[in-house]
Amino acid sequence: SPTGDSWGIFTFLCAALCNLPALPALNCSEELGAGQSIQQTYDLTRYLEHQLRTLAGTYLNYLGPPFNEPDFNPPRLARAERVPSATVDLDLWRGLTDNARLAANYRAYSRLLCYLRVLDSQVGTAELRHRLAHFCASLQGLVLSIGGVMSSLGYPLPAGPAGSPVPPGAPAAPNDFLKKMDDFWLLKELQTWLWRSAKDFNRLKKKVPPAMVTLRLEAREF
Amino acid sequence: ESHIQYERVGADVTMKCGSMDWDAAVTWTANGTDIDESHLNGSYLILKNVDLSHSGQYSCYEGSSWHLKYLTYLRVGTPPKEPVLMCRSNNYPKGFYCSWHLPTPTYIPNSFNISVIHGTKDMVCEKDAVPKNRCHIRYLQLFSTVKYKVTLTVTNALGKNFTTLTFDEFAIVKPDPPESVVAKPVPNNPRRLEVSWQNPSSWPDPESFPLKFFLRYRPLILDQWQHVELSDGTSHTITDAYAGKEYIIQVAAKDNDIGTWSDWSVAVHATPWTEEPKHLTTEAQITETTSASTSSFMAPPTTKICDKGAVVGSGAMAVCWTAGLVVAAYSVLFI
Repeated sequence: SPTGDSWGIFTFLCAALCNLPALPALNCSEELGAGQSIQQTYDLTRYLEHQLRTLAGTYLNYLGPPFNEPDFNPPRLARAERVPSATVDLDLWRGLTDNARLAANYRAYSRLLCYLRVLDSQVGTAELRHRLAHFCASLQGLVLSIGGVMSSLGYPLPAGPAGSPVPPGAPAAPNDFLKKMDDFWLLKELQTWLWRSAKDFNRLKKKVPPAMVTLRLEAREF
Repeated sequence: ESHIQYERVGADVTMKCGSMDWDAAVTWTANGTDIDESHLNGSYLILKNVDLSHSGQYSCYEGSSWHLKYLTYLRVGTPPKEPVLMCRSNNYPKGFYCSWHLPTPTYIPNSFNISVIHGTKDMVCEKDAVPKNRCHIRYLQLFSTVKYKVTLTVTNALGKNFTTLTFDEFAIVKPDPPESVVAKPVPNNPRRLEVSWQNPSSWPDPESFPLKFFLRYRPLILDQWQHVELSDGTSHTITDAYAGKEYIIQVAAKDNDIGTWSDWSVAVHATPWTEEPKHLTTEAQITETTSASTSSFMAPPTTKICDKGAVVGSGAMAVCWTAGLVVAAYSVLFI
Protein backbone atom coordinates (compact mmCIF):
# COMPACT_ATOMS: atom_id res chain seq x y z
CA SER A 1 0.00 0.00 0.00
CA PRO A 2 1.21 3.51 -0.72
CA THR A 3 0.90 4.63 2.90
CA GLY A 4 2.83 1.55 4.01
CA ASP A 5 5.61 2.30 1.56
CA SER A 6 6.06 5.92 2.61
CA TRP A 7 5.98 4.94 6.27
CA GLY A 8 8.55 2.29 5.56
CA ILE A 9 10.78 4.61 3.60
CA PHE A 10 10.57 7.14 6.40
CA THR A 11 11.53 4.56 8.99
CA PHE A 12 14.37 3.34 6.81
CA LEU A 13 15.70 6.83 6.21
CA CYS A 14 15.47 7.59 9.89
CA ALA A 15 17.31 4.44 10.78
CA ALA A 16 19.96 5.05 8.13
CA LEU A 17 20.53 8.68 9.01
CA CYS A 18 20.47 8.37 12.75
CA ASN A 19 22.58 5.29 12.96
CA LEU A 20 25.06 5.64 10.12
CA PRO A 21 28.51 5.42 11.68
CA ALA A 22 31.31 7.80 10.70
CA LEU A 23 28.77 10.61 10.22
CA PRO A 24 29.68 13.61 12.32
CA ALA A 25 27.02 14.98 14.62
CA LEU A 26 24.39 16.42 12.29
CA ASN A 27 22.00 19.24 13.03
CA CYS A 28 20.19 16.62 15.10
CA SER A 29 22.36 16.78 18.17
CA GLU A 30 19.70 14.81 19.95
CA GLU A 31 20.16 11.09 19.87
CA LEU A 32 17.19 8.82 20.19
CA GLY A 33 17.40 6.58 23.20
CA ALA A 34 18.12 2.90 22.67
CA GLY A 35 14.46 2.13 23.38
CA GLN A 36 13.25 4.09 20.38
CA SER A 37 15.96 2.61 18.12
CA ILE A 38 14.72 -0.83 19.07
CA GLN A 39 11.20 0.23 18.15
CA GLN A 40 12.45 1.50 14.78
CA THR A 41 14.34 -1.73 14.14
CA TYR A 42 11.23 -3.70 15.04
CA ASP A 43 9.17 -1.61 12.62
CA LEU A 44 11.80 -2.19 9.91
CA THR A 45 11.60 -5.96 10.32
CA ARG A 46 7.82 -5.81 9.91
CA TYR A 47 8.18 -3.64 6.81
CA LEU A 48 10.75 -6.01 5.33
CA GLU A 49 8.58 -9.01 6.10
CA HIS A 50 5.77 -7.37 4.18
CA GLN A 51 8.10 -6.57 1.26
CA LEU A 52 9.51 -10.07 1.23
CA ARG A 53 6.10 -11.61 0.76
CA THR A 54 5.72 -9.89 -2.61
CA LEU A 55 9.35 -10.43 -3.57
CA ALA A 56 9.31 -14.13 -2.68
CA GLY A 57 6.07 -14.68 -4.61
CA THR A 58 7.54 -13.10 -7.73
CA TYR A 59 10.88 -14.87 -7.37
CA LEU A 60 9.43 -18.33 -6.77
CA ASN A 61 7.21 -17.92 -9.82
CA TYR A 62 10.33 -17.03 -11.76
CA LEU A 63 11.97 -20.25 -10.53
CA GLY A 64 8.88 -22.12 -11.60
CA PRO A 65 7.44 -25.39 -10.28
CA PRO A 66 7.87 -27.08 -7.86
CA PHE A 67 9.38 -24.06 -6.05
CA ASN A 68 6.27 -21.94 -6.37
CA GLU A 69 3.91 -24.64 -5.11
CA PRO A 70 2.53 -23.91 -1.63
CA ASP A 71 2.98 -27.53 -0.48
CA PHE A 72 6.59 -27.71 -1.57
CA ASN A 73 8.38 -29.13 1.43
CA PRO A 74 11.82 -30.39 0.40
CA PRO A 75 14.31 -31.95 2.79
CA ARG A 76 17.07 -29.64 3.85
CA LEU A 77 20.27 -30.47 2.00
CA ALA A 78 23.63 -30.18 3.68
CA ARG A 79 24.66 -27.37 1.34
CA ALA A 80 21.73 -25.31 2.66
CA GLU A 81 23.51 -25.12 6.01
CA ARG A 82 25.61 -22.21 4.71
CA VAL A 83 22.64 -19.88 5.06
CA PRO A 84 22.36 -18.78 8.70
CA SER A 85 19.35 -20.44 10.30
CA ALA A 86 16.95 -18.68 12.64
CA THR A 87 16.01 -22.01 14.21
CA VAL A 88 17.08 -22.17 17.82
CA ASP A 89 16.42 -24.23 20.92
CA LEU A 90 13.59 -22.62 22.90
CA ASP A 91 15.38 -22.36 26.25
CA LEU A 92 18.55 -21.19 24.58
CA TRP A 93 16.65 -18.44 22.77
CA ARG A 94 15.01 -17.33 25.99
CA GLY A 95 18.36 -17.20 27.79
CA LEU A 96 20.22 -15.14 25.19
CA THR A 97 21.81 -11.98 26.55
CA ASP A 98 20.84 -8.74 24.83
CA ASN A 99 24.29 -8.62 23.24
CA ALA A 100 24.07 -12.18 21.93
CA ARG A 101 20.55 -11.61 20.67
CA LEU A 102 21.47 -8.49 18.76
CA ALA A 103 24.72 -10.01 17.46
CA ALA A 104 22.89 -13.06 16.10
CA ASN A 105 20.52 -10.79 14.18
CA TYR A 106 23.36 -8.58 12.94
CA ARG A 107 25.44 -11.51 11.68
CA ALA A 108 22.48 -13.25 10.07
CA TYR A 109 21.26 -10.25 8.10
CA SER A 110 24.79 -9.27 7.05
CA ARG A 111 25.29 -12.68 5.51
CA LEU A 112 21.79 -12.89 4.07
CA LEU A 113 22.42 -9.52 2.44
CA CYS A 114 25.59 -10.86 0.81
CA TYR A 115 23.76 -13.84 -0.62
CA LEU A 116 20.91 -11.68 -1.82
CA ARG A 117 23.32 -9.39 -3.63
CA VAL A 118 24.80 -12.40 -5.44
CA LEU A 119 21.28 -13.39 -6.39
CA ASP A 120 20.63 -9.89 -7.65
CA SER A 121 23.61 -10.01 -9.99
CA GLN A 122 22.46 -13.25 -11.60
CA VAL A 123 18.74 -12.78 -11.92
CA GLY A 124 17.00 -12.54 -15.30
CA THR A 125 14.06 -10.17 -15.46
CA ALA A 126 14.14 -6.39 -15.00
CA GLU A 127 11.21 -6.47 -12.61
CA LEU A 128 12.98 -8.94 -10.35
CA ARG A 129 16.21 -6.94 -10.44
CA HIS A 130 14.29 -3.82 -9.44
CA ARG A 131 12.51 -5.57 -6.57
CA LEU A 132 15.67 -7.23 -5.34
CA ALA A 133 17.59 -3.94 -5.43
CA HIS A 134 14.85 -2.25 -3.39
CA PHE A 135 14.82 -5.10 -0.91
CA CYS A 136 18.60 -5.13 -0.55
CA ALA A 137 18.55 -1.41 0.20
CA SER A 138 15.96 -1.90 2.93
CA LEU A 139 17.86 -4.89 4.30
CA GLN A 140 21.03 -2.81 4.41
CA GLY A 141 19.04 -0.28 6.44
CA LEU A 142 18.06 -3.03 8.86
CA VAL A 143 21.69 -4.11 9.35
CA LEU A 144 22.66 -0.50 10.02
CA SER A 145 19.75 -0.09 12.40
CA ILE A 146 20.75 -3.16 14.41
CA GLY A 147 24.33 -1.89 14.44
CA GLY A 148 23.04 1.40 15.77
CA VAL A 149 21.17 -0.25 18.60
CA MET A 150 24.25 -2.25 19.54
CA SER A 151 26.42 0.86 19.56
CA SER A 152 23.96 2.84 21.65
CA LEU A 153 23.92 0.02 24.18
CA GLY A 154 27.72 -0.10 24.20
CA TYR A 155 28.10 -3.49 22.51
CA PRO A 156 30.86 -4.09 19.95
CA LEU A 157 29.74 -4.88 16.43
CA PRO A 158 30.41 -8.49 15.41
CA ALA A 159 33.58 -8.96 13.36
CA GLY A 160 33.45 -9.12 9.57
CA PRO A 161 32.28 -6.13 7.58
CA ALA A 162 28.74 -6.16 6.21
CA GLY A 163 28.53 -6.13 2.46
CA SER A 164 31.59 -8.26 1.85
CA PRO A 165 31.46 -10.70 -1.04
CA VAL A 166 30.17 -14.25 -0.60
CA PRO A 167 32.20 -16.02 2.09
CA PRO A 168 35.09 -18.02 0.62
CA GLY A 169 34.72 -21.75 0.38
CA ALA A 170 31.07 -21.59 -0.64
CA PRO A 171 30.81 -23.99 -3.56
CA ALA A 172 28.80 -22.86 -6.57
CA ALA A 173 25.78 -25.03 -7.34
CA PRO A 174 26.78 -27.86 -9.71
CA ASN A 175 23.51 -27.74 -11.61
CA ASP A 176 20.55 -25.53 -12.31
CA PHE A 177 18.12 -27.38 -10.01
CA LEU A 178 20.44 -27.20 -7.01
CA LYS A 179 21.01 -23.52 -7.69
CA LYS A 180 17.26 -23.00 -7.52
CA MET A 181 17.11 -25.00 -4.28
CA ASP A 182 19.75 -22.65 -2.82
CA ASP A 183 17.59 -19.67 -3.78
CA PHE A 184 14.50 -21.32 -2.28
CA TRP A 185 16.20 -21.91 1.08
CA LEU A 186 17.68 -18.43 1.09
CA LEU A 187 14.24 -16.87 0.81
CA LYS A 188 12.80 -19.25 3.38
CA GLU A 189 15.52 -18.48 5.93
CA LEU A 190 15.12 -14.78 5.30
CA GLN A 191 11.41 -15.04 5.96
CA THR A 192 11.95 -17.01 9.14
CA TRP A 193 14.60 -14.58 10.35
CA LEU A 194 12.22 -11.66 9.90
CA TRP A 195 9.58 -13.49 11.95
CA ARG A 196 12.17 -14.28 14.59
CA SER A 197 13.51 -10.72 14.70
CA ALA A 198 10.05 -9.38 15.48
CA LYS A 199 10.11 -11.61 18.58
CA ASP A 200 13.74 -10.78 19.37
CA PHE A 201 13.03 -7.08 19.29
CA ASN A 202 9.83 -7.47 21.30
CA ARG A 203 11.93 -9.04 24.02
CA LEU A 204 14.55 -6.32 23.78
CA LYS A 205 11.84 -3.64 23.93
CA LYS A 206 10.71 -4.95 27.30
CA LYS A 207 14.18 -5.19 28.74
CA VAL A 208 15.40 -1.81 27.54
CA PRO A 209 12.81 0.73 28.69
CA PRO A 210 11.85 3.32 26.06
CA ALA A 211 14.14 6.16 27.05
CA MET A 212 13.14 9.77 26.71
CA VAL A 213 14.91 11.67 23.95
CA THR A 214 18.36 12.35 25.37
CA LEU A 215 20.67 15.14 24.41
CA ARG A 216 24.10 13.91 23.48
CA LEU A 217 26.49 16.80 23.42
CA GLU A 218 29.75 14.85 23.52
CA ALA A 219 31.22 13.49 20.29
CA ARG A 220 30.22 9.98 19.33
CA GLU A 221 32.94 7.37 19.56
CA PHE A 222 33.40 5.11 16.51
CA GLU B 1 -18.47 -69.19 23.71
CA SER B 2 -19.09 -65.89 22.06
CA HIS B 3 -17.65 -63.30 19.75
CA ILE B 4 -18.39 -59.85 18.37
CA GLN B 5 -19.24 -59.72 14.71
CA TYR B 6 -18.92 -56.43 12.86
CA GLU B 7 -20.82 -55.96 9.64
CA ARG B 8 -21.43 -53.10 7.23
CA VAL B 9 -24.76 -51.38 6.85
CA GLY B 10 -26.52 -52.89 3.84
CA ALA B 11 -24.55 -56.12 3.92
CA ASP B 12 -25.99 -59.65 3.95
CA VAL B 13 -24.91 -61.30 7.20
CA THR B 14 -24.43 -64.99 7.90
CA MET B 15 -24.14 -66.05 11.53
CA LYS B 16 -22.95 -69.50 12.37
CA CYS B 17 -23.77 -71.37 15.52
CA GLY B 18 -20.20 -71.75 16.65
CA SER B 19 -18.72 -74.96 15.37
CA MET B 20 -22.04 -76.69 14.71
CA ASP B 21 -22.49 -78.30 11.30
CA TRP B 22 -24.71 -76.76 8.71
CA ASP B 23 -27.31 -79.46 9.04
CA ALA B 24 -27.52 -79.37 12.86
CA ALA B 25 -30.83 -78.57 14.45
CA VAL B 26 -30.68 -75.24 16.26
CA THR B 27 -32.91 -72.43 17.34
CA TRP B 28 -31.95 -68.77 17.31
CA THR B 29 -33.03 -65.84 19.39
CA ALA B 30 -32.35 -62.16 18.88
CA ASN B 31 -32.10 -60.27 22.18
CA GLY B 32 -34.20 -63.00 23.74
CA THR B 33 -36.92 -63.05 21.07
CA ASP B 34 -37.35 -66.17 18.96
CA ILE B 35 -36.42 -65.96 15.31
CA ASP B 36 -38.53 -67.97 12.91
CA GLU B 37 -37.12 -70.53 10.51
CA SER B 38 -37.54 -68.42 7.38
CA HIS B 39 -34.32 -66.65 8.32
CA LEU B 40 -32.39 -69.88 8.60
CA ASN B 41 -30.27 -71.64 6.06
CA GLY B 42 -29.68 -74.92 7.80
CA SER B 43 -28.15 -73.93 11.14
CA TYR B 44 -26.94 -70.58 9.82
CA LEU B 45 -28.86 -67.42 10.49
CA ILE B 46 -29.14 -65.15 7.45
CA LEU B 47 -29.92 -61.46 7.75
CA LYS B 48 -30.23 -59.55 4.50
CA ASN B 49 -29.44 -55.87 3.98
CA VAL B 50 -28.79 -55.16 7.65
CA ASP B 51 -29.26 -51.79 9.25
CA LEU B 52 -28.40 -50.37 12.65
CA SER B 53 -31.49 -51.85 14.24
CA HIS B 54 -30.10 -55.33 13.65
CA SER B 55 -27.32 -54.76 16.16
CA GLY B 56 -27.76 -56.91 19.23
CA GLN B 57 -27.23 -60.21 20.91
CA TYR B 58 -27.94 -63.35 18.88
CA SER B 59 -28.00 -66.68 20.70
CA CYS B 60 -28.25 -70.12 19.20
CA TYR B 61 -29.47 -73.15 21.13
CA GLU B 62 -29.09 -76.84 20.44
CA GLY B 63 -32.42 -78.04 19.04
CA SER B 64 -33.88 -80.35 21.63
CA SER B 65 -31.91 -79.59 24.76
CA TRP B 66 -32.14 -75.79 24.69
CA HIS B 67 -28.51 -75.75 25.55
CA LEU B 68 -26.88 -72.40 24.70
CA LYS B 69 -24.26 -73.21 22.11
CA TYR B 70 -23.04 -69.83 20.98
CA LEU B 71 -23.48 -66.10 21.50
CA THR B 72 -22.87 -63.58 18.73
CA TYR B 73 -22.85 -59.87 19.37
CA LEU B 74 -23.70 -58.28 16.06
CA ARG B 75 -22.57 -54.70 15.57
CA VAL B 76 -23.69 -53.03 12.38
CA GLY B 77 -21.67 -50.01 11.34
CA THR B 78 -19.65 -48.36 8.58
CA PRO B 79 -15.98 -48.08 7.74
CA PRO B 80 -14.57 -44.68 8.71
CA LYS B 81 -14.85 -41.72 6.37
CA GLU B 82 -11.89 -39.36 6.04
CA PRO B 83 -11.39 -37.85 9.51
CA VAL B 84 -11.35 -34.10 10.16
CA LEU B 85 -8.06 -32.93 11.66
CA MET B 86 -7.18 -29.56 13.09
CA CYS B 87 -3.90 -28.36 14.61
CA ARG B 88 -3.45 -25.14 16.44
CA SER B 89 -1.00 -23.35 18.67
CA ASN B 90 -2.90 -21.41 21.36
CA ASN B 91 0.10 -21.47 23.68
CA TYR B 92 2.93 -20.25 21.45
CA PRO B 93 5.87 -20.74 21.86
CA LYS B 94 5.27 -23.77 24.07
CA GLY B 95 3.86 -26.03 21.38
CA PHE B 96 0.64 -26.97 19.65
CA TYR B 97 -2.24 -29.39 19.85
CA CYS B 98 -4.17 -31.36 17.28
CA SER B 99 -7.75 -32.46 17.60
CA TRP B 100 -9.85 -34.61 15.34
CA HIS B 101 -13.24 -36.15 14.82
CA LEU B 102 -15.13 -38.21 12.28
CA PRO B 103 -17.53 -36.36 10.03
CA THR B 104 -20.14 -39.12 10.39
CA PRO B 105 -20.45 -41.75 13.12
CA THR B 106 -19.45 -45.35 12.37
CA TYR B 107 -21.52 -46.82 15.23
CA ILE B 108 -18.69 -49.21 16.07
CA PRO B 109 -15.49 -48.61 18.05
CA ASN B 110 -12.69 -46.72 16.25
CA SER B 111 -9.04 -46.37 17.11
CA PHE B 112 -6.94 -43.32 16.16
CA ASN B 113 -3.25 -43.14 15.50
CA ILE B 114 -1.49 -39.83 15.04
CA SER B 115 2.03 -39.31 13.74
CA VAL B 116 3.98 -36.05 13.60
CA ILE B 117 7.04 -35.65 11.41
CA HIS B 118 9.26 -32.59 11.53
CA GLY B 119 11.74 -32.77 8.68
CA THR B 120 13.35 -36.13 9.28
CA LYS B 121 12.42 -36.37 12.95
CA ASP B 122 9.49 -38.29 14.35
CA MET B 123 7.81 -36.48 17.20
CA VAL B 124 5.48 -37.87 19.82
CA CYS B 125 2.09 -36.22 20.20
CA GLU B 126 0.96 -36.94 23.76
CA LYS B 127 -2.67 -37.87 23.97
CA ASP B 128 -4.82 -35.80 26.30
CA ALA B 129 -7.06 -37.56 28.79
CA VAL B 130 -9.65 -34.85 28.38
CA PRO B 131 -10.90 -34.03 25.92
CA LYS B 132 -10.52 -37.25 24.00
CA ASN B 133 -9.37 -37.12 20.40
CA ARG B 134 -6.75 -34.56 21.18
CA CYS B 135 -3.00 -34.64 21.64
CA HIS B 136 -0.31 -32.04 22.27
CA ILE B 137 3.32 -31.51 21.30
CA ARG B 138 6.03 -29.41 22.84
CA TYR B 139 8.25 -27.40 20.54
CA LEU B 140 11.89 -28.32 20.94
CA GLN B 141 13.02 -25.65 18.54
CA LEU B 142 11.61 -22.29 17.65
CA PHE B 143 11.59 -20.41 14.35
CA SER B 144 11.83 -23.54 12.25
CA THR B 145 11.92 -23.35 8.45
CA VAL B 146 10.93 -26.97 8.12
CA LYS B 147 7.23 -27.82 8.03
CA TYR B 148 5.39 -30.17 10.37
CA LYS B 149 3.50 -33.06 8.83
CA VAL B 150 0.71 -34.58 10.89
CA THR B 151 -1.01 -37.77 9.76
CA LEU B 152 -4.10 -39.11 11.47
CA THR B 153 -5.20 -42.68 10.74
CA VAL B 154 -8.53 -43.99 11.94
CA THR B 155 -9.18 -47.73 11.96
CA ASN B 156 -12.13 -49.91 12.83
CA ALA B 157 -13.17 -53.49 12.15
CA LEU B 158 -14.63 -52.56 8.77
CA GLY B 159 -11.85 -50.42 7.30
CA LYS B 160 -9.49 -47.51 7.70
CA ASN B 161 -8.94 -43.99 6.48
CA PHE B 162 -6.52 -41.15 7.04
CA THR B 163 -5.81 -37.46 6.51
CA THR B 164 -2.65 -35.34 6.54
CA LEU B 165 -1.91 -31.76 7.49
CA THR B 166 1.31 -29.96 6.58
CA PHE B 167 2.07 -26.56 8.06
CA ASP B 168 4.70 -24.07 9.15
CA GLU B 169 5.22 -23.31 12.82
CA PHE B 170 3.87 -19.80 12.34
CA ALA B 171 0.79 -20.64 10.35
CA ILE B 172 -1.12 -22.38 13.14
CA VAL B 173 -0.72 -19.77 15.86
CA LYS B 174 -4.20 -18.77 17.08
CA PRO B 175 -4.69 -17.66 20.68
CA ASP B 176 -7.77 -18.38 22.77
CA PRO B 177 -10.19 -15.45 23.10
CA PRO B 178 -9.52 -12.80 25.77
CA GLU B 179 -10.95 -13.56 29.20
CA SER B 180 -12.88 -11.68 31.84
CA VAL B 181 -14.26 -9.05 29.46
CA VAL B 182 -15.96 -6.35 31.52
CA ALA B 183 -17.83 -3.31 30.23
CA LYS B 184 -18.94 -0.55 32.56
CA PRO B 185 -20.63 2.80 32.12
CA VAL B 186 -18.59 5.89 33.00
CA PRO B 187 -20.30 8.13 35.57
CA ASN B 188 -21.44 11.49 34.20
CA ASN B 189 -20.53 10.46 30.65
CA PRO B 190 -23.62 9.44 28.68
CA ARG B 191 -21.63 8.42 25.56
CA ARG B 192 -18.85 6.39 27.12
CA LEU B 193 -18.30 2.79 28.01
CA GLU B 194 -15.17 1.48 29.66
CA VAL B 195 -14.11 -1.97 28.46
CA SER B 196 -11.38 -4.09 30.01
CA TRP B 197 -10.23 -7.68 29.56
CA GLN B 198 -7.39 -10.06 30.26
CA ASN B 199 -4.95 -12.04 28.15
CA PRO B 200 -6.15 -15.61 27.63
CA SER B 201 -4.71 -17.74 30.43
CA SER B 202 -3.43 -20.31 27.92
CA TRP B 203 -1.00 -17.77 26.40
CA PRO B 204 2.17 -18.48 28.38
CA ASP B 205 4.43 -15.50 27.72
CA PRO B 206 2.67 -12.23 26.83
CA GLU B 207 5.83 -10.30 27.74
CA SER B 208 7.95 -11.71 24.94
CA PHE B 209 5.03 -12.61 22.69
CA PRO B 210 2.64 -9.72 23.12
CA LEU B 211 -0.91 -9.91 21.88
CA LYS B 212 -2.85 -7.28 20.03
CA PHE B 213 -6.62 -6.95 20.27
CA PHE B 214 -9.68 -6.25 18.19
CA LEU B 215 -12.75 -4.81 19.84
CA ARG B 216 -16.19 -4.77 18.26
CA TYR B 217 -19.33 -3.15 19.61
CA ARG B 218 -22.82 -2.19 18.53
CA PRO B 219 -26.08 -1.17 20.14
CA LEU B 220 -28.46 -4.13 20.36
CA ILE B 221 -30.91 -2.40 18.07
CA LEU B 222 -28.45 -2.08 15.17
CA ASP B 223 -26.82 -4.79 13.04
CA GLN B 224 -23.61 -3.03 12.10
CA TRP B 225 -20.54 -3.44 14.28
CA GLN B 226 -17.95 -0.80 14.97
CA HIS B 227 -14.35 -1.97 15.21
CA VAL B 228 -11.24 -0.82 17.01
CA GLU B 229 -7.83 -2.43 16.72
CA LEU B 230 -5.56 -2.01 19.74
CA SER B 231 -1.87 -2.76 19.58
CA ASP B 232 -1.33 -2.86 23.31
CA GLY B 233 -3.10 -2.55 26.62
CA THR B 234 -6.05 -4.54 27.85
CA SER B 235 -8.61 -1.78 28.12
CA HIS B 236 -10.34 0.76 25.94
CA THR B 237 -12.91 3.48 26.39
CA ILE B 238 -15.66 3.72 23.80
CA THR B 239 -16.49 7.41 23.38
CA ASP B 240 -19.17 7.37 20.70
CA ALA B 241 -21.88 5.25 22.23
CA TYR B 242 -25.47 6.27 21.65
CA ALA B 243 -26.90 7.63 24.86
CA GLY B 244 -29.14 5.29 26.77
CA LYS B 245 -28.76 2.34 24.39
CA GLU B 246 -27.72 -1.12 25.49
CA TYR B 247 -24.53 -2.28 23.82
CA ILE B 248 -23.07 -5.67 23.02
CA ILE B 249 -19.26 -5.84 23.10
CA GLN B 250 -16.71 -8.50 22.15
CA VAL B 251 -12.92 -8.73 21.99
CA ALA B 252 -10.54 -10.95 19.99
CA ALA B 253 -6.77 -11.46 20.31
CA LYS B 254 -3.87 -12.18 17.97
CA ASP B 255 -0.14 -12.53 18.32
CA ASN B 256 1.35 -9.19 17.38
CA ASP B 257 3.23 -10.56 14.39
CA ILE B 258 2.17 -14.06 13.37
CA GLY B 259 -0.81 -16.35 13.04
CA THR B 260 -4.53 -15.60 13.00
CA TRP B 261 -7.15 -13.91 15.15
CA SER B 262 -8.77 -15.78 18.00
CA ASP B 263 -12.50 -16.44 18.11
CA TRP B 264 -14.58 -13.65 19.62
CA SER B 265 -14.79 -13.54 23.38
CA VAL B 266 -17.99 -14.08 25.31
CA ALA B 267 -20.23 -11.07 24.63
CA VAL B 268 -20.85 -8.54 27.39
CA HIS B 269 -23.68 -6.08 27.60
CA ALA B 270 -23.57 -2.57 28.98
CA THR B 271 -25.53 0.64 28.80
CA PRO B 272 -23.87 4.05 29.09
CA TRP B 273 -24.60 6.16 32.16
CA THR B 274 -27.83 8.13 31.96
CA GLU B 275 -28.93 10.97 34.19
CA GLU B 276 -31.64 10.15 36.75
CA PRO B 277 -34.81 12.13 35.84
CA LYS B 278 -34.94 13.67 39.37
CA HIS B 279 -35.84 17.20 38.20
CA LEU B 280 -38.92 15.93 36.33
CA THR B 281 -40.28 14.45 39.57
CA THR B 282 -40.02 17.79 41.40
CA GLU B 283 -41.68 19.60 38.48
CA ALA B 284 -44.58 17.14 38.55
CA GLN B 285 -45.06 17.78 42.27
CA ILE B 286 -45.23 21.54 41.68
CA THR B 287 -47.72 21.19 38.78
CA GLU B 288 -49.86 18.89 40.90
CA THR B 289 -50.30 21.41 43.64
CA THR B 290 -51.47 24.00 41.08
CA SER B 291 -53.76 21.70 39.09
CA ALA B 292 -56.53 19.68 40.59
CA SER B 293 -55.28 16.34 39.20
CA THR B 294 -54.51 13.46 41.50
CA SER B 295 -52.15 11.56 39.23
CA SER B 296 -49.04 10.06 40.89
CA PHE B 297 -46.02 12.33 40.87
CA MET B 298 -43.96 9.75 38.95
CA ALA B 299 -46.20 10.30 35.91
CA PRO B 300 -44.35 10.89 32.63
CA PRO B 301 -45.16 14.04 30.62
CA THR B 302 -47.66 12.26 28.33
CA THR B 303 -50.06 11.58 31.16
CA LYS B 304 -49.62 15.11 32.39
CA ILE B 305 -50.62 16.53 29.01
CA CYS B 306 -53.65 14.32 28.95
CA ASP B 307 -54.58 15.22 32.53
CA LYS B 308 -54.00 18.90 32.05
CA GLY B 309 -55.99 19.02 28.88
CA ALA B 310 -58.64 16.66 30.20
CA VAL B 311 -61.95 17.17 28.48
CA VAL B 312 -64.90 15.04 29.29
CA GLY B 313 -65.95 12.70 26.45
CA SER B 314 -64.32 10.94 23.50
CA GLY B 315 -62.48 14.13 22.59
CA ALA B 316 -60.21 13.57 25.60
CA MET B 317 -59.02 10.18 24.30
CA ALA B 318 -58.17 11.76 20.95
CA VAL B 319 -56.05 14.39 22.67
CA CYS B 320 -54.23 11.74 24.72
CA TRP B 321 -53.49 9.60 21.67
CA THR B 322 -52.24 12.51 19.59
CA ALA B 323 -50.01 13.70 22.42
CA GLY B 324 -48.61 10.19 22.80
CA LEU B 325 -47.92 9.91 19.08
CA VAL B 326 -46.15 13.26 18.98
CA VAL B 327 -43.89 12.28 21.88
CA ALA B 328 -43.22 8.88 20.31
CA ALA B 329 -42.31 10.46 16.97
CA TYR B 330 -40.01 12.90 18.73
CA SER B 331 -38.14 10.19 20.65
CA VAL B 332 -37.59 8.10 17.48
CA LEU B 333 -35.51 11.02 16.18
CA PHE B 334 -33.03 10.32 18.97
CA ILE B 335 -32.40 6.68 17.95
